[in-house]
Amino acid sequence: MTESSTKQIAFKVQRYDPEQGGAPHWQQFTVPSSRGTTVLDGLIYIKENLDSTLAFRTSCRMGICGSCGMLINSYPHLACHTQIEEFHSNTLTVRPLPNLSIIKDLVVDLTPMFHNHKSIKPYILRQDAQEMRTPTSEFAQIPQELNDFLQFAYCIKCGICVSACPTSASDRLFLGPQALAQCYRYCADNRDEGQQERLRVADTNHGAWHCHLAGACSEACPKGVDPALAIQLLKRRLASQALGLRGKRQASSVVSPPTQTKPKIPFPEFTVKGSA
Amino acid sequence: MRTTRFHLLHILAGVLIAVLLGIHMVRLHLDAILEFFGVDSEDPTSWTSMIDRASQGIWAALYIALLAVALYHALYGLRGIILELTPSAKAGRVVTWSFIIIGIVVFGWSAYVPLHLLSS
Repeated sequence: MTESSTKQIAFKVQRYDPEQGGAPHWQQFTVPSSRGTTVLDGLIYIKENLDSTLAFRTSCRMGICGSCGMLINSYPHLACHTQIEEFHSNTLTVRPLPNLSIIKDLVVDLTPMFHNHKSIKPYILRQDAQEMRTPTSEFAQIPQELNDFLQFAYCIKCGICVSACPTSASDRLFLGPQALAQCYRYCADNRDEGQQERLRVADTNHGAWHCHLAGACSEACPKGVDPALAIQLLKRRLASQALGLRGKRQASSVVSPPTQTKPKIPFPEFTVKGSA
Repeated sequence: MRTTRFHLLHILAGVLIAVLLGIHMVRLHLDAILEFFGVDSEDPTSWTSMIDRASQGIWAALYIALLAVALYHALYGLRGIILELTPSAKAGRVVTWSFIIIGIVVFGWSAYVPLHLLSS
Protein backbone atom coordinates (compact mmCIF):
# COMPACT_ATOMS: atom_id res chain seq x y z
CA MET A 1 0.00 0.00 0.00
CA THR A 2 1.60 3.23 -1.13
CA GLU A 3 1.09 6.54 0.63
CA SER A 4 -0.53 8.12 -2.46
CA SER A 5 -3.20 5.40 -2.88
CA THR A 6 -4.41 5.73 0.71
CA LYS A 7 -7.37 8.00 1.40
CA GLN A 8 -8.72 9.17 4.72
CA ILE A 9 -12.36 8.19 5.16
CA ALA A 10 -14.64 9.63 7.84
CA PHE A 11 -16.56 6.79 9.53
CA LYS A 12 -19.69 8.08 11.25
CA VAL A 13 -20.60 5.20 13.54
CA GLN A 14 -23.78 5.01 15.60
CA ARG A 15 -22.88 4.26 19.21
CA TYR A 16 -25.17 2.98 21.94
CA ASP A 17 -24.29 1.49 25.29
CA PRO A 18 -27.31 0.30 27.32
CA GLU A 19 -25.23 0.34 30.52
CA GLN A 20 -24.59 4.06 30.13
CA GLY A 21 -28.17 4.71 28.96
CA GLY A 22 -29.25 7.64 26.82
CA ALA A 23 -30.15 7.66 23.17
CA PRO A 24 -27.94 6.30 20.37
CA HIS A 25 -25.48 8.95 19.18
CA TRP A 26 -22.93 9.41 16.41
CA GLN A 27 -19.18 9.23 16.76
CA GLN A 28 -16.79 10.06 13.94
CA PHE A 29 -13.49 8.29 13.25
CA THR A 30 -10.92 8.80 10.50
CA VAL A 31 -9.85 5.58 8.85
CA PRO A 32 -7.17 5.08 6.18
CA SER A 33 -8.56 3.31 3.14
CA SER A 34 -7.03 1.99 -0.04
CA ARG A 35 -8.21 -0.21 -2.87
CA GLY A 36 -9.79 -3.37 -1.47
CA THR A 37 -10.37 -2.03 2.03
CA THR A 38 -13.72 -3.23 3.28
CA VAL A 39 -16.01 -1.52 5.76
CA LEU A 40 -15.21 -4.34 8.17
CA ASP A 41 -11.47 -3.59 7.78
CA GLY A 42 -12.30 0.00 8.72
CA LEU A 43 -14.22 -1.06 11.81
CA ILE A 44 -11.41 -3.41 12.86
CA TYR A 45 -8.96 -0.50 12.39
CA ILE A 46 -11.12 1.65 14.68
CA LYS A 47 -11.30 -1.10 17.31
CA GLU A 48 -7.57 -1.82 17.21
CA ASN A 49 -6.28 1.75 16.97
CA LEU A 50 -8.89 4.34 17.93
CA ASP A 51 -11.57 3.00 20.26
CA SER A 52 -11.48 -0.51 21.64
CA THR A 53 -14.98 -0.17 23.12
CA LEU A 54 -16.66 -0.24 19.69
CA ALA A 55 -18.84 -3.36 19.48
CA PHE A 56 -19.65 -5.21 16.27
CA ARG A 57 -19.97 -8.84 15.20
CA THR A 58 -17.52 -10.45 12.81
CA SER A 59 -16.16 -13.88 12.14
CA CYS A 60 -15.29 -15.25 8.71
CA ARG A 61 -14.53 -11.96 6.85
CA MET A 62 -15.62 -13.57 3.57
CA GLY A 63 -19.42 -13.30 3.40
CA ILE A 64 -20.13 -16.78 4.70
CA CYS A 65 -20.95 -16.52 8.41
CA GLY A 66 -23.48 -13.67 8.19
CA SER A 67 -22.25 -11.96 11.36
CA CYS A 68 -21.40 -8.48 10.11
CA GLY A 69 -24.71 -7.29 8.69
CA MET A 70 -25.12 -3.55 9.24
CA LEU A 71 -26.62 -0.44 7.70
CA ILE A 72 -23.90 1.22 5.63
CA ASN A 73 -24.85 4.55 4.05
CA SER A 74 -28.50 3.76 4.85
CA TYR A 75 -28.53 0.40 3.06
CA PRO A 76 -28.11 -3.02 4.66
CA HIS A 77 -24.86 -4.76 3.69
CA LEU A 78 -22.40 -7.32 5.00
CA ALA A 79 -19.48 -5.15 6.16
CA CYS A 80 -16.94 -7.76 5.04
CA HIS A 81 -18.48 -7.93 1.58
CA THR A 82 -18.59 -4.17 1.02
CA GLN A 83 -15.57 -2.19 -0.10
CA ILE A 84 -15.29 1.43 0.97
CA GLU A 85 -14.44 2.40 -2.62
CA GLU A 86 -17.88 1.29 -3.81
CA PHE A 87 -19.48 4.36 -2.26
CA HIS A 88 -17.27 6.96 -4.02
CA SER A 89 -17.49 9.11 -0.92
CA ASN A 90 -15.15 10.27 1.80
CA THR A 91 -17.82 9.81 4.45
CA LEU A 92 -19.49 6.59 5.51
CA THR A 93 -22.32 6.21 7.97
CA VAL A 94 -22.49 2.88 9.78
CA ARG A 95 -25.52 1.95 11.85
CA PRO A 96 -26.92 -1.29 13.29
CA LEU A 97 -29.52 -3.19 11.25
CA PRO A 98 -33.00 -1.69 11.62
CA ASN A 99 -36.12 -3.71 12.65
CA LEU A 100 -34.04 -5.44 15.35
CA SER A 101 -33.30 -4.15 18.83
CA ILE A 102 -29.78 -2.97 19.57
CA ILE A 103 -27.65 -4.80 22.12
CA LYS A 104 -24.65 -2.48 21.87
CA ASP A 105 -23.28 -0.18 19.12
CA LEU A 106 -23.58 -2.22 15.88
CA VAL A 107 -24.63 -5.48 17.54
CA VAL A 108 -28.33 -6.27 17.16
CA ASP A 109 -30.45 -8.89 18.86
CA LEU A 110 -31.19 -11.60 16.29
CA THR A 111 -33.22 -13.69 18.76
CA PRO A 112 -36.65 -12.86 17.20
CA MET A 113 -35.35 -13.83 13.76
CA PHE A 114 -33.96 -17.15 15.00
CA HIS A 115 -37.16 -17.76 16.98
CA ASN A 116 -39.18 -17.40 13.75
CA HIS A 117 -36.63 -19.51 11.89
CA LYS A 118 -36.96 -22.25 14.48
CA SER A 119 -40.77 -22.12 14.37
CA ILE A 120 -40.89 -23.35 10.76
CA LYS A 121 -38.84 -26.46 11.68
CA PRO A 122 -35.86 -25.86 9.41
CA TYR A 123 -34.79 -29.48 9.06
CA ILE A 124 -35.89 -32.58 7.17
CA LEU A 125 -38.99 -34.16 8.70
CA ARG A 126 -39.80 -37.75 7.74
CA GLN A 127 -42.42 -40.30 8.69
CA ASP A 128 -39.79 -43.05 9.00
CA ALA A 129 -38.50 -41.96 12.39
CA GLN A 130 -36.32 -45.04 12.73
CA GLU A 131 -34.37 -44.15 9.57
CA MET A 132 -34.00 -40.57 10.79
CA ARG A 133 -32.60 -41.69 14.14
CA THR A 134 -30.30 -44.35 12.80
CA PRO A 135 -29.71 -43.73 9.11
CA THR A 136 -28.81 -46.80 7.09
CA SER A 137 -28.93 -45.32 3.61
CA GLU A 138 -29.34 -42.07 1.67
CA PHE A 139 -32.46 -40.19 0.55
CA ALA A 140 -32.64 -40.13 -3.24
CA GLN A 141 -32.54 -36.71 -4.88
CA ILE A 142 -31.80 -35.91 -8.51
CA PRO A 143 -30.14 -32.60 -9.54
CA GLN A 144 -33.46 -31.20 -10.88
CA GLU A 145 -35.08 -31.77 -7.49
CA LEU A 146 -32.15 -30.07 -5.82
CA ASN A 147 -32.58 -27.05 -8.12
CA ASP A 148 -36.13 -26.56 -6.82
CA PHE A 149 -34.77 -25.12 -3.59
CA LEU A 150 -31.01 -24.76 -4.00
CA GLN A 151 -30.86 -20.95 -4.16
CA PHE A 152 -32.91 -20.68 -0.94
CA ALA A 153 -30.45 -23.01 0.80
CA TYR A 154 -27.73 -20.33 0.37
CA CYS A 155 -29.28 -18.28 3.21
CA ILE A 156 -26.64 -17.42 5.83
CA LYS A 157 -29.14 -16.02 8.37
CA CYS A 158 -27.48 -12.60 8.50
CA GLY A 159 -30.81 -10.80 9.12
CA ILE A 160 -30.32 -8.35 6.24
CA CYS A 161 -33.61 -9.36 4.56
CA VAL A 162 -35.49 -8.85 7.83
CA SER A 163 -33.92 -5.42 8.29
CA ALA A 164 -34.82 -4.42 4.71
CA CYS A 165 -38.42 -5.70 4.94
CA PRO A 166 -41.02 -2.90 5.31
CA THR A 167 -43.56 -5.35 6.76
CA SER A 168 -41.13 -6.44 9.48
CA ALA A 169 -40.66 -2.74 10.26
CA SER A 170 -44.33 -2.21 11.04
CA ASP A 171 -45.44 -5.68 12.15
CA ARG A 172 -43.41 -7.10 15.03
CA LEU A 173 -45.29 -10.42 14.83
CA PHE A 174 -44.55 -10.95 11.11
CA LEU A 175 -42.61 -14.17 10.48
CA GLY A 176 -40.24 -12.29 8.19
CA PRO A 177 -38.70 -13.08 4.80
CA GLN A 178 -35.94 -15.25 6.24
CA ALA A 179 -38.24 -17.72 8.02
CA LEU A 180 -40.79 -17.78 5.20
CA ALA A 181 -38.12 -18.41 2.57
CA GLN A 182 -36.73 -21.25 4.67
CA CYS A 183 -40.26 -22.58 5.12
CA TYR A 184 -40.51 -22.86 1.33
CA ARG A 185 -36.99 -24.25 1.08
CA TYR A 186 -37.88 -27.26 3.25
CA CYS A 187 -41.37 -27.71 1.77
CA ALA A 188 -39.82 -27.87 -1.71
CA ASP A 189 -37.27 -30.47 -0.64
CA ASN A 190 -38.37 -33.85 -2.01
CA ARG A 191 -36.74 -35.66 0.94
CA ASP A 192 -39.08 -33.88 3.35
CA GLU A 193 -42.54 -34.87 4.59
CA GLY A 194 -43.20 -32.01 7.01
CA GLN A 195 -45.03 -29.65 4.68
CA GLN A 196 -48.31 -29.80 6.62
CA GLU A 197 -46.64 -28.77 9.86
CA ARG A 198 -44.79 -25.88 8.21
CA LEU A 199 -47.74 -24.58 6.21
CA ARG A 200 -49.73 -24.35 9.45
CA VAL A 201 -47.08 -21.93 10.77
CA ALA A 202 -47.06 -19.86 7.57
CA ASP A 203 -50.88 -19.81 7.35
CA THR A 204 -51.48 -17.19 10.05
CA ASN A 205 -52.41 -13.51 10.16
CA HIS A 206 -48.71 -12.64 10.42
CA GLY A 207 -47.49 -15.30 7.98
CA ALA A 208 -47.03 -15.57 4.24
CA TRP A 209 -50.16 -13.63 3.26
CA HIS A 210 -48.97 -10.61 5.19
CA CYS A 211 -46.02 -10.08 2.83
CA HIS A 212 -46.55 -6.84 0.85
CA LEU A 213 -44.28 -8.07 -1.93
CA ALA A 214 -42.06 -5.00 -1.74
CA GLY A 215 -39.12 -7.16 -2.84
CA ALA A 216 -36.68 -5.28 -0.58
CA CYS A 217 -35.50 -8.60 0.92
CA SER A 218 -34.42 -9.97 -2.45
CA GLU A 219 -32.80 -6.66 -3.39
CA ALA A 220 -30.75 -6.55 -0.20
CA CYS A 221 -29.73 -10.22 0.19
CA PRO A 222 -25.92 -10.41 -0.06
CA LYS A 223 -26.03 -14.08 -1.11
CA GLY A 224 -28.38 -13.60 -4.07
CA VAL A 225 -31.23 -15.49 -2.42
CA ASP A 226 -34.67 -14.36 -3.57
CA PRO A 227 -36.90 -14.57 -0.46
CA ALA A 228 -39.70 -12.65 -2.21
CA LEU A 229 -39.90 -15.41 -4.82
CA ALA A 230 -39.89 -18.07 -2.09
CA ILE A 231 -42.80 -16.33 -0.35
CA GLN A 232 -44.77 -16.19 -3.62
CA LEU A 233 -44.11 -19.89 -4.21
CA LEU A 234 -45.13 -20.58 -0.63
CA LYS A 235 -48.40 -18.69 -1.20
CA ARG A 236 -48.99 -20.90 -4.23
CA ARG A 237 -48.51 -23.99 -2.08
CA LEU A 238 -50.85 -22.60 0.57
CA ALA A 239 -53.53 -21.79 -2.01
CA SER A 240 -53.19 -25.21 -3.68
CA GLN A 241 -53.45 -26.87 -0.29
CA ALA A 242 -56.53 -24.84 0.73
CA LEU A 243 -58.27 -25.58 -2.57
CA GLY A 244 -57.27 -29.23 -2.49
CA LEU A 245 -55.43 -28.97 -5.80
CA ARG A 246 -52.19 -30.53 -4.64
CA GLY A 247 -52.12 -34.23 -3.94
CA LYS A 248 -49.95 -35.77 -1.27
CA ARG A 249 -46.36 -35.88 -2.44
CA GLN A 250 -44.41 -39.07 -2.20
CA ALA A 251 -41.22 -38.43 -0.27
CA SER A 252 -38.00 -39.60 -1.84
CA SER A 253 -37.11 -43.20 -1.30
CA VAL A 254 -34.21 -44.47 0.72
CA VAL A 255 -31.44 -45.80 -1.47
CA SER A 256 -28.13 -47.41 -0.65
CA PRO A 257 -25.10 -45.28 -1.43
CA PRO A 258 -23.49 -46.18 -4.77
CA THR A 259 -20.95 -48.93 -4.46
CA GLN A 260 -19.19 -48.00 -7.66
CA THR A 261 -18.38 -44.43 -8.56
CA LYS A 262 -16.99 -42.97 -11.74
CA PRO A 263 -13.23 -43.20 -11.98
CA LYS A 264 -11.58 -40.00 -10.90
CA ILE A 265 -9.91 -37.86 -13.52
CA PRO A 266 -6.23 -38.68 -13.33
CA PHE A 267 -3.96 -36.01 -11.94
CA PRO A 268 -2.07 -34.34 -14.84
CA GLU A 269 1.58 -35.04 -15.15
CA PHE A 270 3.94 -32.35 -13.99
CA THR A 271 5.02 -30.20 -16.89
CA VAL A 272 8.03 -28.85 -15.05
CA LYS A 273 10.42 -31.66 -14.38
CA GLY A 274 12.57 -31.43 -11.32
CA SER A 275 16.26 -30.98 -12.06
CA ALA A 276 17.86 -34.33 -11.46
CA MET B 1 -55.54 -23.29 5.93
CA ARG B 2 -58.08 -20.86 7.40
CA THR B 3 -56.13 -17.67 6.73
CA THR B 4 -55.42 -18.82 3.18
CA ARG B 5 -59.12 -19.47 2.53
CA PHE B 6 -60.08 -16.03 3.88
CA HIS B 7 -57.36 -14.44 1.76
CA LEU B 8 -58.50 -16.25 -1.40
CA LEU B 9 -62.04 -15.13 -0.60
CA HIS B 10 -60.73 -11.57 -0.31
CA ILE B 11 -59.24 -11.84 -3.81
CA LEU B 12 -62.43 -13.42 -5.18
CA ALA B 13 -64.48 -10.61 -3.56
CA GLY B 14 -62.30 -8.09 -5.42
CA VAL B 15 -63.09 -9.79 -8.73
CA LEU B 16 -66.80 -9.97 -7.90
CA ILE B 17 -66.85 -6.24 -7.04
CA ALA B 18 -65.52 -5.48 -10.51
CA VAL B 19 -68.18 -7.71 -12.11
CA LEU B 20 -71.18 -6.57 -10.04
CA LEU B 21 -70.20 -2.91 -10.03
CA GLY B 22 -69.58 -3.24 -13.78
CA ILE B 23 -73.17 -4.47 -14.30
CA HIS B 24 -74.46 -1.57 -12.17
CA MET B 25 -72.38 1.01 -14.07
CA VAL B 26 -73.33 -0.35 -17.50
CA ARG B 27 -77.03 -0.44 -16.66
CA LEU B 28 -77.18 3.01 -15.10
CA HIS B 29 -74.60 5.09 -16.92
CA LEU B 30 -73.94 3.49 -20.30
CA ASP B 31 -77.54 3.56 -21.50
CA ALA B 32 -76.51 5.00 -24.87
CA ILE B 33 -74.40 1.92 -25.56
CA LEU B 34 -77.18 -0.39 -24.31
CA GLU B 35 -79.58 1.39 -26.66
CA PHE B 36 -77.19 0.62 -29.52
CA PHE B 37 -77.53 -3.08 -28.63
CA GLY B 38 -81.33 -2.83 -28.55
CA VAL B 39 -81.95 -2.53 -24.79
CA ASP B 40 -84.80 -0.16 -23.75
CA SER B 41 -83.75 3.47 -23.59
CA GLU B 42 -85.84 4.77 -20.70
CA ASP B 43 -83.73 6.97 -18.41
CA PRO B 44 -82.26 4.42 -15.96
CA THR B 45 -81.47 7.09 -13.36
CA SER B 46 -85.07 8.28 -13.03
CA TRP B 47 -87.10 7.54 -9.90
CA THR B 48 -89.58 5.26 -11.68
CA SER B 49 -86.78 3.22 -13.28
CA MET B 50 -85.09 2.82 -9.92
CA ILE B 51 -88.34 1.69 -8.21
CA ASP B 52 -89.02 -0.64 -11.13
CA ARG B 53 -85.59 -2.28 -10.80
CA ALA B 54 -85.91 -2.47 -7.01
CA SER B 55 -89.07 -4.51 -7.34
CA GLN B 56 -87.25 -7.15 -9.37
CA GLY B 57 -85.61 -9.93 -7.36
CA ILE B 58 -82.56 -10.19 -9.61
CA TRP B 59 -81.58 -6.54 -9.05
CA ALA B 60 -82.18 -6.77 -5.30
CA ALA B 61 -80.00 -9.88 -5.21
CA LEU B 62 -77.30 -8.11 -7.26
CA TYR B 63 -77.18 -5.12 -4.91
CA ILE B 64 -77.18 -7.27 -1.79
CA ALA B 65 -74.39 -9.41 -3.27
CA LEU B 66 -72.44 -6.25 -4.16
CA LEU B 67 -72.92 -4.97 -0.62
CA ALA B 68 -71.71 -8.28 0.86
CA VAL B 69 -68.56 -8.60 -1.29
CA ALA B 70 -67.68 -4.90 -1.00
CA LEU B 71 -68.06 -5.02 2.78
CA TYR B 72 -66.02 -8.20 3.09
CA HIS B 73 -63.28 -6.91 0.77
CA ALA B 74 -63.08 -3.52 2.52
CA LEU B 75 -63.23 -4.78 6.10
CA TYR B 76 -60.83 -7.69 5.53
CA GLY B 77 -58.34 -5.32 3.90
CA LEU B 78 -58.69 -2.76 6.69
CA ARG B 79 -58.34 -5.51 9.28
CA GLY B 80 -55.07 -6.59 7.62
CA ILE B 81 -53.69 -3.06 7.89
CA ILE B 82 -54.72 -2.68 11.53
CA LEU B 83 -53.44 -6.18 12.44
CA GLU B 84 -50.02 -5.08 11.24
CA LEU B 85 -49.98 -2.49 14.00
CA THR B 86 -51.34 -4.69 16.79
CA PRO B 87 -48.70 -5.62 19.35
CA SER B 88 -50.11 -9.02 20.37
CA ALA B 89 -52.26 -11.92 19.20
CA LYS B 90 -54.86 -11.03 21.85
CA ALA B 91 -55.22 -7.49 20.48
CA GLY B 92 -55.47 -9.05 17.02
CA ARG B 93 -58.45 -11.16 18.11
CA VAL B 94 -60.18 -8.05 19.49
CA VAL B 95 -59.64 -6.31 16.12
CA THR B 96 -61.01 -9.33 14.21
CA TRP B 97 -64.16 -9.62 16.32
CA SER B 98 -64.73 -5.87 16.16
CA PHE B 99 -64.66 -6.05 12.36
CA ILE B 100 -67.00 -9.07 12.31
CA ILE B 101 -69.54 -7.19 14.46
CA ILE B 102 -69.19 -3.97 12.41
CA GLY B 103 -69.61 -6.01 9.20
CA ILE B 104 -72.78 -7.76 10.40
CA VAL B 105 -74.34 -4.51 11.66
CA VAL B 106 -73.54 -2.56 8.48
CA PHE B 107 -74.72 -5.43 6.26
CA GLY B 108 -78.03 -5.80 8.14
CA TRP B 109 -78.59 -2.06 8.12
CA SER B 110 -77.74 -1.59 4.43
CA ALA B 111 -79.51 -4.71 3.14
CA TYR B 112 -82.75 -3.44 4.69
CA VAL B 113 -83.28 -0.86 1.89
CA PRO B 114 -83.30 -3.23 -1.14
CA LEU B 115 -85.25 -5.85 0.85
CA HIS B 116 -87.86 -3.27 1.89
CA LEU B 117 -88.19 -1.95 -1.66
CA LEU B 118 -88.54 -5.52 -2.95
CA SER B 119 -91.34 -6.35 -0.53
CA SER B 120 -93.22 -3.04 -0.95
